[in-house]
Amino acid sequence: RYVRQLQRLQLLFSPTAADARGARQFVEEAAQDFARQHPDVVLYVSPHSGPGPAPVLRAEYLNGTVREELIASKTSEEIVQLATKLANQSGLDIIRIRKPFHTDNPSVQGQWHPLTNKPSILTIQGPRLQPQ
Amino acid sequence: MVVLSAARWVRSRLTDRFWRVQEVLKYARHFRGRKNRCYKLAVRSVRRAFVRSTKARREKKRFLRALWITRIEAASLEHGLKYPAFISNLVKSQVELNRKVLADLAIYEPKTFKSLAALAQRRRQEGFLAALGDGKEPEGIFSRIVHHH
Repeated sequence: RYVRQLQRLQLLFSPTAADARGARQFVEEAAQDFARQHPDVVLYVSPHSGPGPAPVLRAEYLNGTVREELIASKTSEEIVQLATKLANQSGLDIIRIRKPFHTDNPSVQGQWHPLTNKPSILTIQGPRLQPQ
Repeated sequence: MVVLSAARWVRSRLTDRFWRVQEVLKYARHFRGRKNRCYKLAVRSVRRAFVRSTKARREKKRFLRALWITRIEAASLEHGLKYPAFISNLVKSQVELNRKVLADLAIYEPKTFKSLAALAQRRRQEGFLAALGDGKEPEGIFSRIVHHH
């Protein structure tokens, strides 16, 4: 069964700042619908009064990563799209994956070493090896 | 070093220009000389580094293929076969393994690779018999072709 990796979404904005207008509209119109469509994500709305840092949408995932996205001067629809994108992500870092595969046991028959295809007389060492 | 809270009169001010410069310098941190510190030199070096990395993606494919071929050649010489003979006889026996997989088998699965080398050797002998024997002997077993329709 699918377990959503997004734990909580924190909407930090100021009720008076001009660039938080999209955030305020999102809270008024679309936040309830978003919360209903994603029942396993907790949505926190925390307005801080007075001039402060820029409005931000903080996403916390099950593996502990915290991802902050600026929502200054964004419309309500854009914030909805951003929130759905964050909800569909997992918390893994967004870097280039070097290889799309990984094994803990790469070798079943034993990894090659310079003595694999040599006659086994070469692996015996010590005083027992005497010409009979 | 990041100053965010109410002490706005502190002399160290992080302007937007600082962040714009850091965006470029973060890609130059592992360079040698002044180009990992000075923005004017770093801009040119970072741009050249990006251009080279884009172009090198095509070279990487050629380089890796050459590496696999070297490894398969070394492994097949251990079993007494040369690389062109090995590859051509595998293809004739309808074993469609690419060089990447063959190189990985040669490293991690040496017994499988030995059996593949033996198969190629057997197909080579049957090819010689078919070419030199001319007719009377029966066709080789490993020279039969399976048709998938």
